[in-house]
Amino acid sequence: MQKRKPRQHRQTAAAPKTPAPTIALRKSCNPDGVGLSHYVLMDRKKAK
Amino acid sequence: MTVAALTPVDIGHARYAALADPGTAFWALVDREQVAATLAGGPLLDAYREKAADFARELRALRFDLKPSAVYVNPTERCNLDCSYCYLPGTMRRDGGHMPEGRLLAALDKLRGYFATVMPAGRRPRIIFHGAEPLMNRDAVFASIDAFGDDFVFGLQTNGTLLDRSAIEFLTARGVSIGLSLDGPEAAITDLTRHTWSGRSVHARVLAAMDALRGYDAWSVIATCTTENLAHLPRMVELFHAHEVPTCMLNTVRCTLPGARGVKPADPDMARAFLAALDRSHALYQETGRKLVVANFANILIAILAPTARRLMCDISPCGGGRAFFALAADGGLYPCSEFIGLPRFRAGSLFESDVEAALDSEGFRLVTGRDVDTFAPCRDCAIRHFCGAPCPAEAHEMNGGMNHTGAFCGFYKEQVRYAFRLIADGIAGDYLWVGWDKGTETVFDHALR
Repeated sequence: MQKRKPRQHRQTAAAPKTPAPTIALRKSCNPDGVGLSHYVLMDRKKAK
Repeated sequence: MTVAALTPVDIGHARYAALADPGTAFWALVDREQVAATLAGGPLLDAYREKAADFARELRALRFDLKPSAVYVNPTERCNLDCSYCYLPGTMRRDGGHMPEGRLLAALDKLRGYFATVMPAGRRPRIIFHGAEPLMNRDAVFASIDAFGDDFVFGLQTNGTLLDRSAIEFLTARGVSIGLSLDGPEAAITDLTRHTWSGRSVHARVLAAMDALRGYDAWSVIATCTTENLAHLPRMVELFHAHEVPTCMLNTVRCTLPGARGVKPADPDMARAFLAALDRSHALYQETGRKLVVANFANILIAILAPTARRLMCDISPCGGGRAFFALAADGGLYPCSEFIGLPRFRAGSLFESDVEAALDSEGFRLVTGRDVDTFAPCRDCAIRHFCGAPCPAEAHEMNGGMNHTGAFCGFYKEQVRYAFRLIADGIAGDYLWVGWDKGTETVFDHALR
């Protein structure tokens, strides 16, 4: 079986850590979502 | 010309309110005291107006221009369990048939041909074996995975009871994404909704499968949230985290068939329990440095931060059914989504007697792909409708009276969006997302004014 090591590091937050009076953020990519409430594909990188 | 129209949304945060433009899915968090001043004009509005047309085009492309890239394949009608809320009819699950191996291979061959006409170069379509219980037709499923391993990316959603050592070795060696289901932190809770036809518990067998999958990259567990387990969701999160489940889903029960509606939680109860479970997942992350991502909530966050990066296609309107993916039933029938397999009106002929293009243009598919929250109340007046999508069309049609109605959990979705905005306001949204969730994305708007 292909094993992974448990991830112990913390991820950079999606929004700035320091609150500001105005926050607005948007990211964009080519859409390829196909999951639904009965299933979420967890090998996204391999689908490319 | 796109008219930028921001609507205030109370997110229940001490400092921030949201401004959202449903026409573009653009949002901003502003000081509650500055809402009126911000709406009157200034740098934020100026910057947004420059981008609004691009954002509107992007949202429209996501909502209306996708081609299918996945099929949910039911290789059998049968299931060894009789879960109280299943969206497939009991007679089908108990007495139904398998798709013969040769026919399954022929189906994938035909699907390969279809996808060759619509998929961009360099991307493989996905086949997800789904249920009923796909491992009841294990030989045919495994033969298909071996025969088409170069053509598709495979996934398998299973109740876990037939996932023995040899099955796990086969699937993990081939990188198949595996989803399990478990509804309780202990057998007494799981058994209330998930059990065999004779009422026997399967809780321990699913835990054994979870133990066997520990350390594998690509697996997840779904807990279906009902009145029976709602009070135990934080303990569910603790169980999943202790078993090193990388991703879980805490899904509301789908109320498509009447049997599910008897265990449907009320929206406020669902929201309270779900947010408590999210809080617990975050506390565990802070304690251990290891995440348990709750995928259905992560998807709401991603819908806000990067609309096109969604992984799940339920929480968007039209949903992904019949356009991002479709379903193939064991008898060859084509449906917009597995959720519709018990509803003959949505059957769009047989894959073996027709073709995919004809199914996509069928009345049943168009009923689903034509469901647009911009066109019916109360969604058309809701500022967050494109972070939510009013799922699910099957529920709306069967439970609420038609496609132009909300799904089963409108209030719950609003609370999720408000909670997601609070996390963004507090700068901790990333704690609830997969590591590297935004890899491959481009930041197209980043505005933090002091």
